[in-house]
Amino acid sequence: MGLKNPAEQAVILLRSRLCNPNFIFTLFSDSPDSNYSKLKYIISSSVTESCNNSVLLLGPRGCGKLAVLELVLEDLLREFPDMISVIKLNGLLHSDDNCALKEIARQLCLEHQLAFSKMASSDENSQFLIAMLRECGLAHKTVLFVLDEFDLFAQGKQRLLYSLLDAMQSVTSQAVVIGVSCRLDADQLLEKRVRSRFSHRKLLFLPPSREDLQRLLEHALLLPSGSDLPHEFVANFNSKLLNIFADKKFKDIMDTVFNTDSTFKQVLTFLFSALCHLDLKRGFLSVENFKDALSNIQRQPKLECLKDCSILELYILVCMKRLEVREHETCNFNSIMKEYKSIHDSFQTTDYYARDVCRRAFEHLLRRELISFLDNRGHGHSIEFRPVKLLISWQELYQGLKSYGSCPAILYKLVERETTT
Amino acid sequence: MAETPKKRSKQTPKHQQHDLSSSNAITIPATPVALEPTPVRRSSRLYTTPTAATAPPPPPPRFTRRKSLNFTTTTPTPIPKTPKKPAPQSQEDAAKQISPISPDRYETRRKRKLDEEKNAGLAKNKDLKGGKKRVYYRKVVYDGGEFSIGDDVYVKRRENAESDNEDPEVEECVMCFKAGRAVMIECDECLGGFHLKCLKPPLKEVPEGDWICRFCEATKLGKNVELPVPPAGKKRARTAKEKFLSSDLWAAHIESMWKEVDGTYWFRSRWYIIPEETAAGRQPHNLRRELYRTNEFADVEMESIIRHCYVMNPKDFSKAADEGDDVFLCEYEYDVCWHSFKRIAEISNNEEDAEEDESDKDWNSCEITDSDSEDDTDYKKEKINGSQRGPSFGHSLAANLRKGQFFGLQKIGAKKIPEHTRCHKQTEIGKAKAMLLLACLPKSPPCRNKEMEEITAFIKGAVSDGQCLGKCLYIHGVPGTGKTMTVLAVMRTLKIEVDSGNIKPYCFVEINGLKLASPENIYRVIYEALTGHRVSWKKALHLLNERFSNGTNWEEENNKPCILLIDELDLLVTRNQSVLYNILDWPTKPHSKLIVIGIANTMDLPEKLLPRISSRMGIQRLCFGPYNYQQLQEIISSRLKGIDAFEKPAIEFASRKVAAVSGDARRALEICRRAAELADYRLRKSQSLNDSAGRSLVGVADVEAAVKEMFQAPHIQVMKSCSKLSKIFLAAMVHELYKTGMGETSFEKLAMTVSCLCTSNGEAFPGFDTLFRVGCKLGECRIILCEAGVRHKLQKLQLNFPSDDVTFALKDSKDLPWLAKYL
Repeated sequence: MGLKNPAEQAVILLRSRLCNPNFIFTLFSDSPDSNYSKLKYIISSSVTESCNNSVLLLGPRGCGKLAVLELVLEDLLREFPDMISVIKLNGLLHSDDNCALKEIARQLCLEHQLAFSKMASSDENSQFLIAMLRECGLAHKTVLFVLDEFDLFAQGKQRLLYSLLDAMQSVTSQAVVIGVSCRLDADQLLEKRVRSRFSHRKLLFLPPSREDLQRLLEHALLLPSGSDLPHEFVANFNSKLLNIFADKKFKDIMDTVFNTDSTFKQVLTFLFSALCHLDLKRGFLSVENFKDALSNIQRQPKLECLKDCSILELYILVCMKRLEVREHETCNFNSIMKEYKSIHDSFQTTDYYARDVCRRAFEHLLRRELISFLDNRGHGHSIEFRPVKLLISWQELYQGLKSYGSCPAILYKLVERETTT
Repeated sequence: MAETPKKRSKQTPKHQQHDLSSSNAITIPATPVALEPTPVRRSSRLYTTPTAATAPPPPPPRFTRRKSLNFTTTTPTPIPKTPKKPAPQSQEDAAKQISPISPDRYETRRKRKLDEEKNAGLAKNKDLKGGKKRVYYRKVVYDGGEFSIGDDVYVKRRENAESDNEDPEVEECVMCFKAGRAVMIECDECLGGFHLKCLKPPLKEVPEGDWICRFCEATKLGKNVELPVPPAGKKRARTAKEKFLSSDLWAAHIESMWKEVDGTYWFRSRWYIIPEETAAGRQPHNLRRELYRTNEFADVEMESIIRHCYVMNPKDFSKAADEGDDVFLCEYEYDVCWHSFKRIAEISNNEEDAEEDESDKDWNSCEITDSDSEDDTDYKKEKINGSQRGPSFGHSLAANLRKGQFFGLQKIGAKKIPEHTRCHKQTEIGKAKAMLLLACLPKSPPCRNKEMEEITAFIKGAVSDGQCLGKCLYIHGVPGTGKTMTVLAVMRTLKIEVDSGNIKPYCFVEINGLKLASPENIYRVIYEALTGHRVSWKKALHLLNERFSNGTNWEEENNKPCILLIDELDLLVTRNQSVLYNILDWPTKPHSKLIVIGIANTMDLPEKLLPRISSRMGIQRLCFGPYNYQQLQEIISSRLKGIDAFEKPAIEFASRKVAAVSGDARRALEICRRAAELADYRLRKSQSLNDSAGRSLVGVADVEAAVKEMFQAPHIQVMKSCSKLSKIFLAAMVHELYKTGMGETSFEKLAMTVSCLCTSNGEAFPGFDTLFRVGCKLGECRIILCEAGVRHKLQKLQLNFPSDDVTFALKDSKDLPWLAKYL
């Protein structure tokens, strides 16, 4: 096992780094203005001063809300062993109050090695929760409730949130509720009486700035000198990488990535993908790797769909387009067939297929979601009569036809004519 | 009040006793004494080391201490002093299963078992002989002292140590070895007493704060200290406290007292334990006078009581300045089988205690029957099975299934008391933070005097009426205006009046509508609160109907008026509103004696209900208006009284800000707490950077930051920092909005606009799919509202915030200066 290509080892190391949010986010944890230190301050003050808090972590997806939280929790668990129990709930799974209470009871039991019964009613579970909060508070133990997808808990009567927050108003309990949500208006979703009990600590997670990104790149990709990799390889790898970082082409690539989506997640996926393109024989990253990764990451699904269509399907799309331009509000399979026939008649094309074949092509288009039914009504009707709509714009269609290898000239011409008129 | 038992003539007065016991010790110095200094199990308490082989037949049952003493003088044999309740052993078994047990402990267990069997035998004999029963007392005068239930006492630990009986009530000075009447000061480190005049230099008066004697100071510095040697011939007498702290005595809490059939007096003790004897040992933050209350009980004869001591909670302890030498502090309870600590709750739950006692009694009885079987192993098994404290057995003991109580909660406890809880050096800001917690409720809510009076008058009128026909009060007000707190405060004051006998007793049931799983469950909860039985809600409804409507009271004693407080009343509204109707209908029945207080947020709840309900509910109403800024200011400053942490304008600013928005007191307190946190954070930061401490007060700037965090939606910041394409997307949305004047647009149109913007400003158009993804991301954050992604081109889009916000956020973005043209 020992005799491994250093490049291979390096790739493994870098990949494990990119997949480990703890590694990535430790970079930003030391400054006092970072969310990490703020969150840690809030939670640790709850632990040490036994004050109850409720915190919301807000921000777009992929900005490291949960990753930072995990980092904080890990640190605190190390700092205060046996004093913190973490209960994790996810709004997608536990938005139902009864189910959430049961899950809380289950995790509490697991945490304290108590026997858990699935049969307990939600009343019993909620009383158990209150009793446990009290006991834990008396024993100076803090219970952390992490509610992922917090907005989904704010549906209905919000019984769970109310009882959690209300329990936190008693002297003996010691708990922190941490809501994680990508909806910026998550706290507005709370009912008034719940909102009044919520203590409204808010931490906003933002996408990294340019400077942070540069730091992140170096932090993630430069090989450490003190590892068991050969020393000269590390030096070589790093110097090549620094050259790439300085390269104009590389900067352009990073700009494109960053312009569309500047979150941590996106950047990390991009780097991972670039790493996967690394040529093990050469052993070093190159600009080409990043270029490949860019094309990998910026997919154009609808255009690719068009590429896979048959000629007949293209015909159908063009027919629909023509109908749309002529402001036929609704078109269905029959009207499309009429149009198809009229095109065939007026231009004498060679591609004329039977109605059944067309119908199959039509269904295929529906499945590829290039076209869709206008509404969900009329499931009973046969496909021919339900109104359909085109889901791609003419530019996309035009571009698709252009890049389609063996597109009949007539189709191309038809679309072009439509756009000019 | 029980009869005061006279001391039997046999008993010698105190000084004689002393002589006698000391002579005992002198004549037979080899008496084996169970005196292992530190981690002695309670179980071995008061036993002399038994040797099973040479043990004589069990002594006759129940001898007094005097007798036993005599007995030991003649034959140094083990004699069980007190019949031990066997529960500790089962605890020990449980403990053994969870933690490795030291061999010496096992030893004690074995000998204990022997004794126990004897005791069991004795008990049985006694049962056969005497048909009389024990007589329980609340207060007993015994041996010149008066003891009542709930007192704390010193208990003898050693069988015949002579020093136990000498009991100097007054402590001697460390320096001059005289007691005297002069004022003495106590060292906080070694607890030694010093005359003020004996100190060098002498002190005039007792200084404030902690004081440490010079010996301890010197020891701390690592010097060798020679304590003053007592003058020849005088032996230093140790006080009971000193003996107790060096584990030569026990301290116990009297749980109950009774007279046995044979006339001896016994009490049930709950032991205290000193930090050295816990599994964690003395922890650095333990105070010298700190004890732990254990969950271990024993029946002890009253003979072994020495005298009173006083164990207090921290609050009383800090107040007790000079109440004597026997004052101790007890803040935690120590679980002897799990070796864990737990704070003692402020309001001790009487029910729980009662329950525990009951289970203990069961224990005793089952023990007696079991003890007949000779087989040891069987015996043990029985015990473990009977024990609830053992590790869980299958499904029946699931922790979250409530059968009277939750099982296994005693497992929860800290293995060690964390140090930070004992940090006495709290900063002013820290104190302020603690006071501003929502959890720390003031005794009576400030600024609600008028409402309190009204509620008091209502309840008093209803209760003293005897009839209380149709009494129903509806309280409404926005959240955070102190509705529930005020009612509860009123109930507390009334409770005191009931206790003093001014008004008739009543029962009080508190229900929160939002904590019920379904509205119908309220019947069950009411019924359980009134009677303690758990039935289904249908049955409960039936029974309650019977009680309130027909006036058939099943028990005469339950015939007191019942006050029902229903919080969040609006949650009880069902489709046919039958729950509310039932509850509000009962008070109108002649014999119901039911008073309903409903609390809800909406002012017009009665109007929204069916007329037959609103006619029953809407008569008497009380409105809790939102607090204005002066009131909020008063609420905050009343909590911060005596704490210098806030600048005055800061409080005013916070209260004005909240009063302008909602008048929610919770919000105002939270803002102040957050401001204190921010200030604390800022101070720490500046301290870690350089040692110059900044402003140590919470200023307006901190409050402003807190207000900003609480009230400001974060969307502007997100818009400012989002990716370039998202910014173009948003700008195009605004542009589209201005162009068409319609709030709603479709993705197709928007994409056109974006491509126009891009081409005319030299940006590369990213393609529809990428743009679409950007739009969906913005939709996820709810910066824009959009339909599901399957609609693609047809997807409808709308800004979720005013377009001015977007303009404001994007106007001076550095990477896209041209955006301003389109905003």
